Amino acid sequence: MKKNVLFKAFSLLVILSFALAACGAPATVATEAPAAEESAATEAPAVEAPAATEAPMMEEVAIRWRTRPDNQEEIDVYSNISTELDAELNGVTLTYEPGGTEGANYQDQLRSEVAAGTAPDVFWIPGTDVADFATRGLILNMNDMATATDGFSVEDFYAGPMGHLTFNPDTATFGADSGALWGLPRDVSTFALYLNMDLINEAGAPDPRELAKEGKWDWDAFLDVAQKTRALGADVYGYGASAWWGPYGVWLNAANGGFFNADRTACALNTPESLAGLDFQRSLYQDFDVATPYGEDPEPTFRAGKVAMFQNGRWATPGVRTVEFEWDVVELPAGPSGTAGNWLFWGAYVVNAKTEHPEEAWALVQALTTAQTQGKVAALGANIPSRVSQEALDAFLTFTPPANNQAFLNGIAADANPTAEGPLWAGSWPEYDQIMGPAIQGVLTGATTVEDFGATICDSADKVFVK
Amino acid sequence: MSEHQKPDTLTNLILRIAMIWRGVFTVVAAAGVITVWSGRLPEVPLWQKILLSLVLSIAAGFSAFGAVEIARRNHRGRMISLVIDYLAFVACAVMTLNIGEVFIGIDALAETFGRGIPYLGIVLAGYLLSSMDEYSVRKQTSEQSLKQVGRWVMIFGFILFLWQVDTINGVLYFLGKLAQPAGLISVAGMLIFGAALWTVWRQPSAAAMHVKTNHEQVISGWLFLSPNLIGFLIFFAGPLLLSFYFSFTDSDAFNTPNWIGLDNYAKILNIKFVTLSSPTQLAKEVVDIKIYDEVGRMMFGSWGILFAAADKFFWLALRNTLTFVLFAVPFSVVPALILSNVLNSKLPGMKFYRAIYFMPSIAAVVGISLVWQWLYNATIGYINYFITLGIEFWNNLFNLAIVDPKIQWVSDEKTALFAVILIAAWQTMGFNTVLFLAGLQNIPGELYEAATVDGAGAWDKFWGITLPLLAPTTFYVVSTTTIQAMQVFEQVFILMNPPEGPNNSTITLVLYLYRSGFQNFKQGYASAIAWVLFIVIFGLTLIQFQRQRQSSIYES
Amino acid sequence: MKIQSYRLLRFISNFFLYFLLTFFALVMIFPFLYMLATSFKTPADTFRYPPRMLPQNAVTLAVDGYDEPLPLYYVDVDGQQAEYALAKSNIKIGTYAPADNLTATVDRRLTEVKPTGGATNQQKVTVNGKEEKLFDVDLDGQIVPMILVSQTTVGEFIDPKNPETKIFQNVRLSEPVESVGGHPENYTEVIELNNMARALTNTALVTILVVLGQLVTSVVGGYAFARLKFPGRDTVFVFYLGTVMIPFVMLIVPLYQLMVLIGWTDRLAALIIPWIFSAYGTFLMRQHFITFPKEIEEAALIDGASRLQILRKILIPASVPALATQATFTFLYAWNSFFWPLVIINVGNEKNHVLTLALNVLRGRASDTPNLILAGAAIAIIPPLIVFIFGQRFFVESVASSGVKG
Repeated sequence: MKKNVLFKAFSLLVILSFALAACGAPATVATEAPAAEESAATEAPAVEAPAATEAPMMEEVAIRWRTRPDNQEEIDVYSNISTELDAELNGVTLTYEPGGTEGANYQDQLRSEVAAGTAPDVFWIPGTDVADFATRGLILNMNDMATATDGFSVEDFYAGPMGHLTFNPDTATFGADSGALWGLPRDVSTFALYLNMDLINEAGAPDPRELAKEGKWDWDAFLDVAQKTRALGADVYGYGASAWWGPYGVWLNAANGGFFNADRTACALNTPESLAGLDFQRSLYQDFDVATPYGEDPEPTFRAGKVAMFQNGRWATPGVRTVEFEWDVVELPAGPSGTAGNWLFWGAYVVNAKTEHPEEAWALVQALTTAQTQGKVAALGANIPSRVSQEALDAFLTFTPPANNQAFLNGIAADANPTAEGPLWAGSWPEYDQIMGPAIQGVLTGATTVEDFGATICDSADKVFVK
Repeated sequence: MSEHQKPDTLTNLILRIAMIWRGVFTVVAAAGVITVWSGRLPEVPLWQKILLSLVLSIAAGFSAFGAVEIARRNHRGRMISLVIDYLAFVACAVMTLNIGEVFIGIDALAETFGRGIPYLGIVLAGYLLSSMDEYSVRKQTSEQSLKQVGRWVMIFGFILFLWQVDTINGVLYFLGKLAQPAGLISVAGMLIFGAALWTVWRQPSAAAMHVKTNHEQVISGWLFLSPNLIGFLIFFAGPLLLSFYFSFTDSDAFNTPNWIGLDNYAKILNIKFVTLSSPTQLAKEVVDIKIYDEVGRMMFGSWGILFAAADKFFWLALRNTLTFVLFAVPFSVVPALILSNVLNSKLPGMKFYRAIYFMPSIAAVVGISLVWQWLYNATIGYINYFITLGIEFWNNLFNLAIVDPKIQWVSDEKTALFAVILIAAWQTMGFNTVLFLAGLQNIPGELYEAATVDGAGAWDKFWGITLPLLAPTTFYVVSTTTIQAMQVFEQVFILMNPPEGPNNSTITLVLYLYRSGFQNFKQGYASAIAWVLFIVIFGLTLIQFQRQRQSSIYES
Repeated sequence: MKIQSYRLLRFISNFFLYFLLTFFALVMIFPFLYMLATSFKTPADTFRYPPRMLPQNAVTLAVDGYDEPLPLYYVDVDGQQAEYALAKSNIKIGTYAPADNLTATVDRRLTEVKPTGGATNQQKVTVNGKEEKLFDVDLDGQIVPMILVSQTTVGEFIDPKNPETKIFQNVRLSEPVESVGGHPENYTEVIELNNMARALTNTALVTILVVLGQLVTSVVGGYAFARLKFPGRDTVFVFYLGTVMIPFVMLIVPLYQLMVLIGWTDRLAALIIPWIFSAYGTFLMRQHFITFPKEIEEAALIDGASRLQILRKILIPASVPALATQATFTFLYAWNSFFWPLVIINVGNEKNHVLTLALNVLRGRASDTPNLILAGAAIAIIPPLIVFIFGQRFFVESVASSGVKG
């Protein structure tokens, strides 16, 4: 008898659960939701486009946008920006949704969302993915809207990112008249060395910032500081860098080498200059043993106060701001070429090719890249404004710590020759990445020699350029 | 029952209606086919048109045949009517739920569900209360009242739950959606097909059409199976066929797939073995480097063999997956076998140990991998710390100078896969122990007693009795563990950064499938990988099955 | 005598058995203890080496004359260990030695020495072929020119009871005074950080619906296979049986495209509806029902009961253990599944995240705070663990029974 009741209750639960499933939908739309639920209420119809157009209360166009935040602070900043722009832009209701992180496949998910029709109207993607999104037809060419917009000029942004963002694959040209505009850069970033001054002082090593000012900050000086700090103990390291091939790009450039030939159509990793850069980086790991073990994430170690010089981008600043030791940043040391070399990281706001409101989306992209908005994001510490204006740069210098913000600007400056080191329009970034990762790792862990690397790398790397 | 009784006039009338309905249905379905191809419908992909018209034509054909059979009062007519009207009814019901947004409404339910959870606790408490009667030693009456109280508590809790999750609004919204034209049509469809079902279902109609009892069993059989079967066809068998089809196309999730025949499989299986004349000879000197990549080489002194493949990642993935299986399976099965034999002794406390061993297997792999990620940390992790302690102890004890290896568990290509193997073995060992334990408890104790009388030692008993009699369990354990291990994905995805690990040392078949299908969006290629994976799993299981059968023949 | 040695032998063998069992039990349980302990730590505490199990906090003390409480360290005072407060760190110290005797070193603060001959005209000396600057160092009241051999930094530690007593030593190598104390606020933080509460209720909802739905379809399907004779039954059954060994990854691509087609990407429905139809569950139920004596059922049929009534009133009440077995499996599968949600639920839509997805995002967002990551892992792992602890016997036995039948 008892079990019978149980069965009834179970089946009742099943049936009702399904009935219930229907219900929540109204709960958010029909009821006057309290303030806390308001965002939920506005988003529910936004997801279903037909519902949005049917709902009589929605006079404004609903636009969703997304970025890839790395922590809660970033989410808060972007949420505030969304609220402010919502008030500024007429006829648009904005919804900000934080995307996943790099490890959670942010851009891959976006691709499938565009395919499934659930992607937001405007989203941020890393610069390395712009070409792929564009050639797959996932993002909108905004050139026509841009030329019709008064006062808009692609020259307001750094030329590096804009070259890729205005590339027209049909004519193989780029620039203001190429007929293509895939997005606007949200930010740029370059590598710098984060310094643990406590360790450097304890080791009695010279202050890299002073050396940089005096023009003596080169590979020898760098190695000297790294060795002196490494001597402090078995668990203290002179240098640390993340386990991917990005940091390598810097040593490579500083040695006058390069990833590609001039027009980015073939591999140039096997030139003597390129190999010299790799060999110096290898010596940091193998010959001099000053670096954190390759493959282990050096960020926790740095923040635990055990790494003297930590090579990372501007995005690491918010996290480093919480450490308890004295810290600052310095530019990377100059190599045989006489300059430091750097890597230009950037990402862009782009518009979903399937958006129903391209004009409003374009307006949002512009609003998100004004000097004012970029200032707010830059104040957080995670990025550098992508607009080339003295005003924006001056504002950036005030966003301390670190005191030596100039180090980042030196990294972007033209003589550091920062470039985005992927084939981009000339090939497939993920495939290139999949070839470079193991190859560089092999050398830095001592599994393969620099000679073997030089003998084989271009055989594999050249394949990704084949179109 | 009354098979030879003459049908009354009402039944005759109803059956005539049923017959006319079959005719109407035939006409409507045929008209539907024409509409599909008339071009008046909004844009629908070609395959959907074909599918729809195929279904409609079959339904129309059978419906026409059914009408004739009903006129003849043949039970086959009833069967056809039941099938067609039932399927149409189910389709309309699903449509109604869909139009009422029941399915996508689960998202909205999730919005309020959290508020209702405490009240589900009341339901649970009520259930516990009502089931207490089993343990009650009092009189019949108090048992009954306890049950009653429990039942009321359950109902009360459930009503509160419904209230909390905003059911009223939900139902109103549902009804509101149904009141719109599309909703009304689908509800009307439900009613019409429901009524049509009734016309042939009712007992007098059945009798009039000479239905026998075994027909009743056929109908209830399919009826009972239908919810499961329909879902199974839509969400399992259909996709499986689709997967097979995709594996012959260049499907990319964005554009219409093109048929490319065996190209996907050809690329996967395009491999080459060539001899090398010296260990330093480069791959490009012996194979066409534009097509092939070096996967590995094996040297025998001054000469060797080079293994090159068009898709090197697939072969690396296959190598890693097989290595993983080769180690993870014994690591989780052999200790489980030993522990289960120990646990099978009648010593006190065995249930406690059994429970502890079982714990890892109920925890989410994602969570577990995150925990191990920090245990494996090369500089601050516990595993290296224990190794350091052990080496220090050893060095002090014997005055040695063994160097602390400071293993980079997840970032060294030599240990990365092993780190994953350890986690997997750790997690499945307890589960396997319990399976073995169940197998051991089925072995009759008399066998051991007889062996003891014969003077057999513990070791002899283990080899002579335990292992042979445990063979079916061992087969089950080994084959399920192998199938699972072949699909290793979550551990590497969470533990490794990037997931393919240092120098592709942890790229597995499923990971490569994921990367091809959902990162590079070569979904046709991913489907082909899936089928190759299936063939490998199938082959391994077949081998194990053969061996098990052989050994059991040998034993008997 | 013989019995005694037998007992001894017995004792030794039992001892080894328990030793083995306990060793493996520790291996099994250690990661869980580590997870719990770490989830209550501060980030700095998690990065400490050598690692410690219990969460600890640095002890600070308010000292007169200082605005903020000062951290306490153990220092060595005349061979005795004492707790001193760190008042100032990063004091630069130079090691100086006379140019003619480099081993006779003295330590002085950089601010205490003056350049020999004045800042503008500092005297220099050549040592080992290298030109070195000379500094005036006060040595017991005497000024001696020396060269700077090396330099480092120290901290100023003061006795909290007597702030005038100072000791200078290296801060990094000093051992801080700590007390055991957990930080349960890690859990509230991770819940806020990552919408973990919503992920938890979503997971509960998905799990409940999948378990209930799968039980219903498996029971009726299994009953049809076990008890009803109809043409095609055995063919369909063989087909079902054949698919049991087909791995799920086979379906992931087409199922994804199917979801795109019917608009269920990013919907919880995609996590529920496809999973309530299980060939394996139907098979298990069929195996169970087939063992049930036919006579009772036939008697009920003669009494005029319908099939549904028989199923409801006779078979299901007698099958609670089998149902529970299946519910257990389904529960664990639905609660822990990751691959399918990863493919079908968008990372941006945190409203529809389940716990495993939330953990995957957390892993990136909190990569520098393992305490938060492990708090998140604990939130995902603990609910099934609680269910397990309460129904331990039943859990384990249901698994065992499935294995014997399979």
